[in-house]
Amino acid sequence: MRWSVIAWRCASFVVAAGVIALWQLAADRRLISPVFLPGPDRAWASLLRGFTSGDLLTKLTGTLTHMAYGWLLASVAGIALGAMIGSSKAMRIYVAPTLELLRPLPVSAIIPVAIAAFGLNQSMALFVIAFGSLWPMLLGTIHGFAAVEPRLYEVARVLHMSRLAVIFKIALPSAAPDILAGMRLSLTVALILAVVCEMLAGLDGLGQWVLLSARAFRSADLFAGVMLLGIIGYITALAMGAAESRLLRWQAARR
Amino acid sequence: MAEPALALVQSSPAPAHAQIAFDKVALVLGGKAIIDTISLEVAAGEILCVVGASGCGKTTALRLAAGLYQPTGGAVRFEGEVMRAPRREIAVVFQDYGKALLPWRTAAGNVSLALETIGMPSAQRAARIAELLAKVGLAGHAAKYPTEMSGGMQQRLQIARCLAQDPKVLLMDEPFGALDAMTRQGLQDEMLALVASTGATVVFVTHDLEEAIYLGDRVVGLLPHPGRVGLELTIDLPRPRDQLATREHPEFLRLRRALFDFIKASE
Ligand SMILES: Nc1ncnc2c1ncn2[C@@H]1O[C@H](COP(=O)(O)OP(=O)(O)O)[C@@H](O)[C@H]1O
Ligand SMILES: [Mg+2]
Repeated sequence: MRWSVIAWRCASFVVAAGVIALWQLAADRRLISPVFLPGPDRAWASLLRGFTSGDLLTKLTGTLTHMAYGWLLASVAGIALGAMIGSSKAMRIYVAPTLELLRPLPVSAIIPVAIAAFGLNQSMALFVIAFGSLWPMLLGTIHGFAAVEPRLYEVARVLHMSRLAVIFKIALPSAAPDILAGMRLSLTVALILAVVCEMLAGLDGLGQWVLLSARAFRSADLFAGVMLLGIIGYITALAMGAAESRLLRWQAARR
Repeated sequence: MAEPALALVQSSPAPAHAQIAFDKVALVLGGKAIIDTISLEVAAGEILCVVGASGCGKTTALRLAAGLYQPTGGAVRFEGEVMRAPRREIAVVFQDYGKALLPWRTAAGNVSLALETIGMPSAQRAARIAELLAKVGLAGHAAKYPTEMSGGMQQRLQIARCLAQDPKVLLMDEPFGALDAMTRQGLQDEMLALVASTGATVVFVTHDLEEAIYLGDRVVGLLPHPGRVGLELTIDLPRPRDQLATREHPEFLRLRRALFDFIKASE
Protein backbone atom coordinates (compact mmCIF):
# COMPACT_ATOMS: atom_id res chain seq x y z
CA MET A 1 0.00 0.00 0.00
CA ARG A 2 2.61 2.57 1.07
CA TRP A 3 5.10 1.29 -1.50
CA SER A 4 2.64 1.59 -4.34
CA VAL A 5 2.00 5.20 -3.31
CA ILE A 6 5.73 5.93 -3.44
CA ALA A 7 6.00 4.15 -6.78
CA TRP A 8 3.18 6.27 -8.21
CA ARG A 9 4.80 9.46 -6.93
CA CYS A 10 8.08 8.47 -8.59
CA ALA A 11 6.33 7.62 -11.84
CA SER A 12 4.53 10.96 -11.99
CA PHE A 13 7.77 12.76 -11.20
CA VAL A 14 9.52 10.93 -14.06
CA VAL A 15 6.70 11.86 -16.43
CA ALA A 16 6.87 15.52 -15.38
CA ALA A 17 10.64 15.54 -15.84
CA GLY A 18 10.18 13.94 -19.27
CA VAL A 19 7.69 16.59 -20.33
CA ILE A 20 10.04 19.38 -19.26
CA ALA A 21 12.92 17.71 -21.12
CA LEU A 22 10.84 17.44 -24.29
CA TRP A 23 9.78 21.06 -23.88
CA GLN A 24 13.45 22.12 -23.59
CA LEU A 25 14.33 20.03 -26.63
CA ALA A 26 11.52 21.53 -28.69
CA ALA A 27 12.59 25.04 -27.71
CA ASP A 28 16.28 24.39 -28.40
CA ARG A 29 15.54 22.92 -31.80
CA ARG A 30 13.25 25.88 -32.48
CA LEU A 31 10.47 23.56 -33.53
CA ILE A 32 8.18 26.39 -32.46
CA SER A 33 9.29 29.98 -32.71
CA PRO A 34 10.74 31.30 -29.41
CA VAL A 35 8.29 34.18 -29.73
CA PHE A 36 5.54 31.69 -28.86
CA LEU A 37 7.40 29.01 -26.95
CA PRO A 38 10.23 29.86 -24.57
CA GLY A 39 12.28 27.01 -23.17
CA PRO A 40 11.75 26.03 -19.54
CA ASP A 41 15.09 27.67 -18.78
CA ARG A 42 13.84 31.05 -19.98
CA ALA A 43 10.46 30.63 -18.29
CA TRP A 44 12.23 29.80 -15.03
CA ALA A 45 14.55 32.78 -15.38
CA SER A 46 11.55 35.01 -15.96
CA LEU A 47 9.83 33.57 -12.93
CA LEU A 48 12.84 34.36 -10.74
CA ARG A 49 13.19 37.82 -12.25
CA GLY A 50 9.50 38.48 -11.63
CA PHE A 51 9.85 37.60 -8.00
CA THR A 52 13.05 39.54 -7.38
CA SER A 53 11.57 42.64 -8.98
CA GLY A 54 8.43 42.10 -6.87
CA ASP A 55 6.01 42.42 -9.81
CA LEU A 56 5.05 38.79 -9.97
CA LEU A 57 4.67 38.57 -6.23
CA THR A 58 2.09 41.38 -6.30
CA LYS A 59 0.19 39.56 -9.04
CA LEU A 60 0.37 36.28 -7.18
CA THR A 61 -0.98 37.90 -4.01
CA GLY A 62 -3.71 39.53 -6.06
CA THR A 63 -4.91 36.28 -7.55
CA LEU A 64 -4.70 34.46 -4.22
CA THR A 65 -6.70 37.22 -2.56
CA HIS A 66 -9.43 37.21 -5.21
CA MET A 67 -9.63 33.46 -5.10
CA ALA A 68 -9.69 33.26 -1.31
CA TYR A 69 -12.32 35.96 -0.78
CA GLY A 70 -14.64 34.56 -3.42
CA TRP A 71 -14.20 31.03 -2.21
CA LEU A 72 -14.69 31.89 1.45
CA LEU A 73 -17.77 33.95 0.70
CA ALA A 74 -19.16 31.07 -1.33
CA SER A 75 -18.30 28.62 1.47
CA VAL A 76 -20.13 30.61 4.12
CA ALA A 77 -23.14 31.24 1.88
CA GLY A 78 -23.17 27.71 0.44
CA ILE A 79 -22.99 25.96 3.80
CA ALA A 80 -25.55 28.25 5.47
CA LEU A 81 -28.01 28.06 2.57
CA GLY A 82 -27.38 24.37 2.04
CA ALA A 83 -27.99 23.66 5.72
CA MET A 84 -31.25 25.59 5.62
CA ILE A 85 -32.49 23.87 2.49
CA GLY A 86 -31.13 20.42 3.29
CA SER A 87 -32.56 20.18 6.79
CA SER A 88 -36.12 20.97 5.71
CA LYS A 89 -38.02 18.57 3.53
CA ALA A 90 -40.41 21.28 2.34
CA MET A 91 -37.50 23.52 1.31
CA ARG A 92 -35.91 20.64 -0.56
CA ILE A 93 -39.10 20.01 -2.49
CA TYR A 94 -39.72 23.66 -3.38
CA VAL A 95 -36.18 24.97 -3.85
CA ALA A 96 -34.29 22.01 -5.28
CA PRO A 97 -35.87 22.14 -8.78
CA THR A 98 -34.94 25.82 -9.11
CA LEU A 99 -31.38 24.98 -8.13
CA GLU A 100 -31.23 22.21 -10.69
CA LEU A 101 -32.26 24.77 -13.28
CA LEU A 102 -29.62 27.31 -12.25
CA ARG A 103 -26.78 24.89 -11.70
CA PRO A 104 -25.93 23.96 -15.32
CA LEU A 105 -25.95 27.65 -16.26
CA PRO A 106 -22.38 28.47 -17.35
CA VAL A 107 -20.87 31.05 -15.03
CA SER A 108 -19.56 32.88 -18.08
CA ALA A 109 -23.17 33.77 -18.80
CA ILE A 110 -23.42 35.56 -15.48
CA ILE A 111 -20.31 37.67 -16.09
CA PRO A 112 -21.98 40.27 -18.36
CA VAL A 113 -24.78 40.55 -15.82
CA ALA A 114 -22.25 41.10 -13.04
CA ILE A 115 -20.36 43.69 -15.11
CA ALA A 116 -23.61 45.54 -15.80
CA ALA A 117 -24.51 45.46 -12.12
CA PHE A 118 -21.13 46.27 -10.53
CA GLY A 119 -18.89 47.61 -13.31
CA LEU A 120 -15.37 46.38 -14.02
CA ASN A 121 -14.08 46.24 -10.47
CA GLN A 122 -13.31 44.10 -7.42
CA SER A 123 -16.97 43.74 -6.44
CA MET A 124 -17.77 42.23 -9.82
CA ALA A 125 -14.88 39.78 -9.44
CA LEU A 126 -15.95 38.85 -5.93
CA PHE A 127 -19.51 38.26 -7.07
CA VAL A 128 -18.57 36.16 -10.09
CA ILE A 129 -16.04 34.04 -8.20
CA ALA A 130 -18.41 33.49 -5.28
CA PHE A 131 -21.36 32.72 -7.54
CA GLY A 132 -19.40 30.23 -9.59
CA SER A 133 -17.89 28.40 -6.64
CA LEU A 134 -21.13 28.40 -4.68
CA TRP A 135 -22.74 25.48 -6.49
CA PRO A 136 -20.58 22.52 -5.53
CA MET A 137 -20.71 23.56 -1.87
CA LEU A 138 -24.40 24.37 -1.89
CA LEU A 139 -25.39 21.10 -3.51
CA GLY A 140 -22.92 19.12 -1.40
CA THR A 141 -24.28 20.66 1.79
CA ILE A 142 -27.90 20.08 0.79
CA HIS A 143 -27.15 16.46 0.03
CA GLY A 144 -25.16 16.03 3.23
CA PHE A 145 -27.86 17.52 5.42
CA ALA A 146 -30.60 15.54 3.72
CA ALA A 147 -28.70 12.30 4.25
CA VAL A 148 -28.24 12.56 8.03
CA GLU A 149 -29.25 9.30 9.68
CA PRO A 150 -32.76 9.91 11.14
CA ARG A 151 -31.90 7.71 14.12
CA LEU A 152 -29.32 10.31 15.18
CA TYR A 153 -32.01 12.96 15.35
CA GLU A 154 -33.93 10.66 17.67
CA VAL A 155 -30.85 10.23 19.81
CA ALA A 156 -30.71 14.03 19.95
CA ARG A 157 -34.37 14.23 20.98
CA VAL A 158 -33.94 11.66 23.72
CA LEU A 159 -30.90 13.59 25.01
CA HIS A 160 -32.76 16.92 24.78
CA MET A 161 -30.04 18.47 22.65
CA SER A 162 -30.55 22.11 21.69
CA ARG A 163 -31.14 23.06 18.04
CA LEU A 164 -27.70 24.57 17.84
CA ALA A 165 -26.11 21.46 19.32
CA VAL A 166 -27.97 19.28 16.83
CA ILE A 167 -26.64 21.35 13.93
CA PHE A 168 -23.05 21.50 15.16
CA LYS A 169 -22.70 18.08 16.76
CA ILE A 170 -24.81 15.95 14.45
CA ALA A 171 -25.82 17.50 11.14
CA LEU A 172 -22.60 19.33 10.22
CA PRO A 173 -20.18 16.51 11.06
CA SER A 174 -22.45 14.04 9.31
CA ALA A 175 -22.54 16.24 6.21
CA ALA A 176 -18.83 17.08 6.41
CA PRO A 177 -17.65 14.62 3.73
CA ASP A 178 -20.11 16.05 1.19
CA ILE A 179 -19.35 19.64 2.19
CA LEU A 180 -15.59 19.17 1.99
CA ALA A 181 -15.86 17.46 -1.40
CA GLY A 182 -17.83 20.49 -2.60
CA MET A 183 -15.21 22.85 -1.18
CA ARG A 184 -12.46 21.01 -3.01
CA LEU A 185 -14.29 21.26 -6.36
CA SER A 186 -15.00 24.94 -5.73
CA LEU A 187 -11.34 25.70 -5.20
CA THR A 188 -10.59 24.98 -8.86
CA VAL A 189 -13.61 26.97 -10.00
CA ALA A 190 -12.52 29.92 -7.85
CA LEU A 191 -9.03 29.93 -9.38
CA ILE A 192 -10.34 29.81 -12.94
CA LEU A 193 -12.82 32.61 -12.31
CA ALA A 194 -10.24 34.75 -10.52
CA VAL A 195 -8.06 34.60 -13.63
CA VAL A 196 -10.98 35.33 -15.95
CA CYS A 197 -12.11 38.32 -13.90
CA GLU A 198 -8.59 39.72 -13.70
CA MET A 199 -8.35 39.49 -17.48
CA LEU A 200 -11.71 41.14 -18.01
CA ALA A 201 -11.52 43.86 -15.41
CA GLY A 202 -7.77 44.47 -15.50
CA LEU A 203 -7.45 43.71 -11.81
CA ASP A 204 -4.02 43.20 -10.32
CA GLY A 205 -3.40 39.49 -10.62
CA LEU A 206 -1.88 36.67 -12.63
CA GLY A 207 -4.77 36.77 -15.11
CA GLN A 208 -3.83 40.31 -16.05
CA TRP A 209 -0.11 39.45 -16.09
CA VAL A 210 -0.67 36.53 -18.42
CA LEU A 211 -2.88 38.57 -20.74
CA LEU A 212 -0.49 41.52 -20.95
CA SER A 213 2.52 39.26 -21.46
CA ALA A 214 0.76 37.52 -24.32
CA ARG A 215 -0.16 40.80 -25.95
CA ALA A 216 3.42 42.03 -25.70
CA PHE A 217 4.81 38.72 -27.02
CA ARG A 218 6.76 38.23 -23.79
CA SER A 219 6.40 34.50 -23.99
CA ALA A 220 8.79 33.79 -21.11
CA ASP A 221 6.73 35.97 -18.76
CA LEU A 222 3.54 34.40 -20.06
CA PHE A 223 4.82 30.94 -19.27
CA ALA A 224 6.08 32.02 -15.88
CA GLY A 225 2.54 33.18 -15.06
CA VAL A 226 0.95 30.01 -16.34
CA MET A 227 3.39 27.90 -14.35
CA LEU A 228 2.57 29.89 -11.25
CA LEU A 229 -1.16 29.33 -11.80
CA GLY A 230 -0.53 25.61 -12.10
CA ILE A 231 1.43 25.68 -8.87
CA ILE A 232 -1.38 27.56 -7.06
CA GLY A 233 -3.90 24.99 -8.23
CA TYR A 234 -1.68 22.13 -7.17
CA ILE A 235 -0.79 23.51 -3.74
CA THR A 236 -4.33 24.57 -2.80
CA ALA A 237 -5.66 21.15 -3.83
CA LEU A 238 -2.92 19.53 -1.75
CA ALA A 239 -3.76 21.69 1.29
CA MET A 240 -7.45 20.97 0.89
CA GLY A 241 -6.74 17.24 0.64
CA ALA A 242 -4.68 17.39 3.83
CA ALA A 243 -7.42 19.30 5.65
CA GLU A 244 -9.97 16.78 4.42
CA SER A 245 -8.10 13.71 5.55
CA ARG A 246 -7.49 15.36 8.92
CA LEU A 247 -11.13 16.29 9.42
CA LEU A 248 -12.40 12.97 8.11
CA ARG A 249 -10.01 10.71 10.04
CA TRP A 250 -13.02 8.72 11.20
CA GLN A 251 -13.74 7.68 7.63
CA ALA A 252 -10.29 6.22 7.27
CA ALA A 253 -11.10 4.07 10.30
CA ARG A 254 -14.06 2.64 8.41
CA ARG A 255 -11.84 1.17 5.70
CA MET B 1 -53.50 -17.76 33.58
CA ALA B 2 -53.56 -14.44 31.73
CA GLU B 3 -57.00 -13.45 32.96
CA PRO B 4 -56.35 -12.47 36.58
CA ALA B 5 -53.14 -10.63 35.62
CA LEU B 6 -54.99 -8.56 33.02
CA ALA B 7 -57.75 -7.74 35.49
CA LEU B 8 -55.11 -6.59 37.95
CA VAL B 9 -53.44 -4.31 35.43
CA GLN B 10 -56.62 -2.68 34.25
CA SER B 11 -57.52 -1.56 37.75
CA SER B 12 -56.27 2.00 37.12
CA PRO B 13 -55.88 4.83 38.28
CA ALA B 14 -52.15 4.38 38.58
CA PRO B 15 -50.72 4.02 42.07
CA ALA B 16 -48.14 6.65 42.98
CA HIS B 17 -45.18 4.30 42.66
CA ALA B 18 -45.69 3.35 38.99
CA GLN B 19 -42.69 4.74 37.13
CA ILE B 20 -44.21 4.35 33.69
CA ALA B 21 -47.91 3.91 33.17
CA PHE B 22 -49.77 3.24 29.93
CA ASP B 23 -53.31 4.40 30.54
CA LYS B 24 -55.64 3.07 27.80
CA VAL B 25 -53.03 4.00 25.20
CA ALA B 26 -53.98 3.83 21.55
CA LEU B 27 -51.97 4.89 18.51
CA VAL B 28 -53.13 5.36 14.94
CA LEU B 29 -50.41 5.88 12.33
CA GLY B 30 -51.25 6.57 8.72
CA GLY B 31 -54.90 5.71 9.28
CA LYS B 32 -53.98 2.32 10.73
CA ALA B 33 -54.50 1.34 14.37
CA ILE B 34 -51.04 0.16 15.41
CA ILE B 35 -51.69 0.01 19.16
CA ASP B 36 -55.16 -0.37 20.59
CA THR B 37 -55.77 0.22 24.24
CA ILE B 38 -52.75 -0.92 26.14
CA SER B 39 -52.94 -0.39 29.89
CA LEU B 40 -49.78 -1.33 31.69
CA GLU B 41 -47.67 -0.23 34.62
CA VAL B 42 -43.99 -0.57 35.21
CA ALA B 43 -42.84 -0.21 38.80
CA ALA B 44 -39.59 1.54 39.71
CA GLY B 45 -36.69 -0.91 39.60
CA GLU B 46 -38.65 -3.51 37.71
CA ILE B 47 -37.42 -5.34 34.62
CA LEU B 48 -40.33 -5.75 32.25
CA CYS B 49 -39.80 -7.78 29.11
CA VAL B 50 -42.06 -7.40 26.10
CA VAL B 51 -42.41 -10.19 23.56
CA GLY B 52 -44.63 -10.72 20.55
CA ALA B 53 -44.62 -11.78 16.93
CA SER B 54 -42.75 -9.60 14.45
CA GLY B 55 -44.78 -6.52 13.52
CA CYS B 56 -47.08 -6.68 16.52
CA GLY B 57 -46.09 -3.24 17.77
CA LYS B 58 -43.26 -3.82 20.27
CA THR B 59 -41.05 -1.10 18.88
CA THR B 60 -44.00 1.26 18.61
CA ALA B 61 -44.95 0.65 22.24
CA LEU B 62 -41.38 1.37 23.29
CA ARG B 63 -41.31 4.58 21.28
CA LEU B 64 -44.50 5.63 23.03
CA ALA B 65 -42.84 4.97 26.37
CA ALA B 66 -39.86 7.06 25.23
CA GLY B 67 -42.05 10.00 24.26
CA LEU B 68 -40.91 9.71 20.63
CA TYR B 69 -44.54 9.12 19.66
CA GLN B 70 -47.59 10.77 21.19
CA PRO B 71 -50.55 8.44 21.70
CA THR B 72 -53.72 9.25 19.76
CA GLY B 73 -55.78 7.91 22.64
CA GLY B 74 -55.17 7.61 26.38
CA ALA B 75 -51.95 8.76 28.00
CA VAL B 76 -48.44 7.64 28.81
CA ARG B 77 -47.33 8.80 32.25
CA PHE B 78 -43.90 9.06 33.78
CA GLU B 79 -44.06 9.19 37.59
CA GLY B 80 -47.66 10.24 37.27
CA GLU B 81 -46.95 13.07 34.82
CA VAL B 82 -48.25 12.90 31.25
CA MET B 83 -45.35 12.56 28.77
CA ARG B 84 -45.37 15.21 26.06
CA ALA B 85 -41.81 14.72 24.82
CA PRO B 86 -38.76 12.56 25.49
CA ARG B 87 -37.15 13.06 28.91
CA ARG B 88 -33.56 12.75 30.00
CA GLU B 89 -34.52 10.35 32.78
CA ILE B 90 -35.54 7.88 30.10
CA ALA B 91 -32.72 6.47 27.98
CA VAL B 92 -33.31 4.49 24.80
CA VAL B 93 -31.02 1.72 23.60
CA PHE B 94 -31.85 1.43 19.91
CA GLN B 95 -31.82 -1.88 18.12
CA ASP B 96 -29.62 -0.63 15.27
CA TYR B 97 -26.56 0.42 17.27
CA GLY B 98 -24.66 1.04 14.04
CA LYS B 99 -27.01 3.90 13.22
CA ALA B 100 -27.44 5.25 16.74
CA LEU B 101 -23.72 5.97 17.30
CA LEU B 102 -21.89 8.97 15.84
CA PRO B 103 -19.36 7.43 13.45
CA TRP B 104 -17.17 10.56 13.56
CA ARG B 105 -16.74 10.37 17.32
CA THR B 106 -14.60 7.87 19.17
CA ALA B 107 -16.05 5.68 21.90
CA ALA B 108 -15.11 8.36 24.43
CA GLY B 109 -16.64 11.04 22.20
CA ASN B 110 -19.91 9.18 21.90
CA VAL B 111 -20.24 8.91 25.67
CA SER B 112 -19.18 12.53 25.94
CA LEU B 113 -22.14 13.57 23.75
CA ALA B 114 -24.55 12.68 26.55
CA LEU B 115 -22.37 14.32 29.21
CA GLU B 116 -22.04 17.53 27.14
CA THR B 117 -25.78 17.61 26.74
CA ILE B 118 -26.51 17.29 30.45
CA GLY B 119 -24.06 20.16 30.92
CA MET B 120 -21.24 18.41 32.75
CA PRO B 121 -18.17 20.70 32.87
CA SER B 122 -15.44 19.44 30.55
CA ALA B 123 -12.99 19.08 33.41
CA GLN B 124 -15.12 16.35 34.98
CA ARG B 125 -15.99 14.57 31.75
CA ALA B 126 -12.82 12.55 31.17
CA ALA B 127 -13.05 10.74 34.48
CA ARG B 128 -16.75 10.03 34.07
CA ILE B 129 -16.21 8.75 30.51
CA ALA B 130 -13.49 6.38 31.69
CA GLU B 131 -15.73 5.16 34.49
CA LEU B 132 -18.68 4.52 32.16
CA LEU B 133 -16.58 2.77 29.52
CA ALA B 134 -15.05 0.57 32.21
CA LYS B 135 -18.53 -0.25 33.47
CA VAL B 136 -19.52 -1.74 30.11
CA GLY B 137 -16.18 -3.44 29.58
CA LEU B 138 -14.72 -1.01 27.04
CA ALA B 139 -11.93 0.38 29.24
CA GLY B 140 -9.15 -0.07 26.66
CA HIS B 141 -11.17 1.12 23.69
CA ALA B 142 -11.83 4.80 24.42
CA ALA B 143 -9.96 6.03 21.33
CA LYS B 144 -11.60 3.61 18.88
CA TYR B 145 -14.20 4.71 16.37
CA PRO B 146 -17.46 2.70 16.33
CA THR B 147 -16.57 1.25 12.92
CA GLU B 148 -13.45 -0.26 14.45
CA MET B 149 -15.54 -2.14 17.01
CA SER B 150 -17.49 -5.41 16.86
CA GLY B 151 -21.28 -5.38 17.08
CA GLY B 152 -21.20 -6.40 20.73
CA MET B 153 -18.78 -3.59 21.57
CA GLN B 154 -20.89 -1.04 19.69
CA GLN B 155 -23.97 -2.07 21.64
CA ARG B 156 -22.00 -1.83 24.88
CA LEU B 157 -20.96 1.66 23.83
CA GLN B 158 -24.56 2.66 23.21
CA ILE B 159 -25.45 1.35 26.66
CA ALA B 160 -22.59 3.37 28.16
CA ARG B 161 -23.91 6.50 26.46
CA CYS B 162 -27.37 5.80 27.87
CA LEU B 163 -25.92 5.32 31.36
CA ALA B 164 -24.19 8.70 30.95
CA GLN B 165 -27.66 10.24 30.97
CA ASP B 166 -27.99 8.86 34.49
CA PRO B 167 -31.41 7.49 33.54
CA LYS B 168 -34.13 6.24 35.82
CA VAL B 169 -35.50 4.13 32.99
CA LEU B 170 -33.75 2.15 30.27
CA LEU B 171 -35.86 1.30 27.23
CA MET B 172 -34.17 -1.38 25.18
CA ASP B 173 -35.40 -2.50 21.76
CA GLU B 174 -34.07 -5.96 20.91
CA PRO B 175 -30.63 -4.72 21.93
CA PHE B 176 -28.92 -8.07 21.55
CA GLY B 177 -30.99 -9.35 18.63
CA ALA B 178 -28.26 -8.93 16.04
CA LEU B 179 -25.51 -10.51 18.14
CA ASP B 180 -24.29 -14.09 18.19
CA ALA B 181 -25.46 -16.39 21.00
CA MET B 182 -22.29 -16.28 23.08
CA THR B 183 -21.98 -12.50 22.97
CA ARG B 184 -25.67 -12.22 23.74
CA GLN B 185 -25.50 -14.35 26.88
CA GLY B 186 -22.49 -12.39 28.08
CA LEU B 187 -24.29 -9.10 27.56
CA GLN B 188 -27.45 -10.37 29.25
CA ASP B 189 -25.51 -11.04 32.44
CA GLU B 190 -23.59 -7.77 32.21
CA MET B 191 -26.83 -5.89 31.75
CA LEU B 192 -28.43 -7.57 34.77
CA ALA B 193 -25.40 -6.68 36.89
CA LEU B 194 -25.44 -3.07 35.64
CA VAL B 195 -29.13 -2.66 36.27
CA ALA B 196 -28.80 -4.21 39.74
CA SER B 197 -26.05 -1.69 40.55
CA THR B 198 -27.94 1.37 39.25
CA GLY B 199 -31.43 0.34 40.30
CA ALA B 200 -32.82 1.52 36.97
CA THR B 201 -36.19 0.44 35.67
CA VAL B 202 -35.93 -1.54 32.43
CA VAL B 203 -38.36 -2.19 29.63
CA PHE B 204 -36.75 -4.77 27.41
CA VAL B 205 -38.22 -5.72 24.04
CA THR B 206 -37.10 -9.00 22.55
CA HIS B 207 -38.30 -11.68 20.18
CA ASP B 208 -36.27 -14.24 22.08
CA LEU B 209 -38.73 -15.82 24.56
CA GLU B 210 -36.03 -17.43 26.69
CA GLU B 211 -34.20 -14.13 26.92
CA ALA B 212 -37.41 -12.49 28.16
CA ILE B 213 -37.86 -15.03 30.95
CA TYR B 214 -34.18 -15.05 31.84
CA LEU B 215 -34.02 -11.27 32.28
CA GLY B 216 -37.48 -10.24 33.41
CA ASP B 217 -39.39 -9.78 36.62
CA ARG B 218 -42.43 -9.82 34.42
CA VAL B 219 -43.09 -10.68 30.77
CA VAL B 220 -45.82 -9.10 28.69
CA GLY B 221 -46.91 -10.77 25.46
CA LEU B 222 -48.41 -8.55 22.77
CA LEU B 223 -51.03 -9.64 20.26
CA PRO B 224 -50.86 -8.21 16.72
CA HIS B 225 -53.25 -6.15 14.56
CA PRO B 226 -53.68 -3.97 16.48
CA GLY B 227 -51.01 -4.31 19.16
CA ARG B 228 -52.48 -5.08 22.57
CA VAL B 229 -51.58 -7.00 25.70
CA GLY B 230 -52.51 -10.67 25.46
CA LEU B 231 -50.54 -12.24 28.27
CA GLU B 232 -48.76 -11.29 31.44
CA LEU B 233 -46.42 -13.59 33.31
CA THR B 234 -44.75 -12.91 36.62
CA ILE B 235 -41.32 -14.48 36.68
CA ASP B 236 -40.57 -15.89 40.10
CA LEU B 237 -37.07 -17.12 39.43
CA PRO B 238 -34.35 -16.48 41.99
CA ARG B 239 -31.79 -13.75 41.39
CA PRO B 240 -28.98 -13.46 40.55
CA ARG B 241 -29.85 -15.47 37.50
CA ASP B 242 -27.44 -18.00 36.07
CA GLN B 243 -27.18 -19.00 32.43
CA LEU B 244 -27.21 -22.71 33.28
CA ALA B 245 -29.12 -23.09 36.54
CA THR B 246 -31.87 -20.60 35.70
CA ARG B 247 -32.49 -22.03 32.27
CA GLU B 248 -32.79 -25.55 33.74
CA HIS B 249 -35.13 -24.47 36.52
CA PRO B 250 -38.53 -26.26 36.29
CA GLU B 251 -40.31 -22.91 36.62
CA PHE B 252 -38.27 -21.57 33.68
CA LEU B 253 -39.35 -24.50 31.57
CA ARG B 254 -42.99 -24.05 32.58
CA LEU B 255 -42.91 -20.34 31.71
CA ARG B 256 -41.16 -21.08 28.47
CA ARG B 257 -43.91 -23.47 27.54
CA ALA B 258 -46.61 -20.94 28.38
CA LEU B 259 -44.91 -18.23 26.27
CA PHE B 260 -44.34 -20.51 23.30
CA ASP B 261 -47.97 -21.58 23.35
CA PHE B 262 -49.06 -17.95 23.52
CA ILE B 263 -46.89 -16.85 20.59
CA LYS B 264 -47.99 -19.83 18.53
CA ALA B 265 -51.65 -19.07 19.18
CA SER B 266 -51.15 -15.37 18.40
CA GLU B 267 -49.71 -16.03 14.95
N1 LIG C 1 -44.65 5.17 11.08
C1 LIG C 1 -45.50 4.16 10.81
N2 LIG C 1 -46.56 4.36 9.99
C2 LIG C 1 -47.43 3.36 9.72
N3 LIG C 1 -47.29 2.11 10.18
C3 LIG C 1 -46.26 1.83 10.99
C4 LIG C 1 -45.30 2.84 11.34
N4 LIG C 1 -44.38 2.28 12.16
C5 LIG C 1 -44.74 1.00 12.31
N5 LIG C 1 -45.86 0.72 11.61
C6 LIG C 1 -46.55 -0.58 11.57
O1 LIG C 1 -46.87 -0.89 12.90
C7 LIG C 1 -46.77 -2.28 13.12
C8 LIG C 1 -45.91 -2.53 14.32
O2 LIG C 1 -44.58 -2.16 14.06
P1 LIG C 1 -43.41 -2.35 15.11
O3 LIG C 1 -43.79 -1.63 16.35
O4 LIG C 1 -42.15 -1.95 14.46
O5 LIG C 1 -43.46 -3.92 15.37
P2 LIG C 1 -42.39 -4.84 16.09
O6 LIG C 1 -41.36 -3.99 16.72
O7 LIG C 1 -43.19 -5.60 17.08
O8 LIG C 1 -41.84 -5.77 15.07
C9 LIG C 1 -46.23 -2.89 11.84
O9 LIG C 1 -47.28 -3.49 11.16
C10 LIG C 1 -45.68 -1.70 11.09
O10 LIG C 1 -45.85 -1.90 9.71
MG1 LIG D 1 -39.25 -3.89 16.37
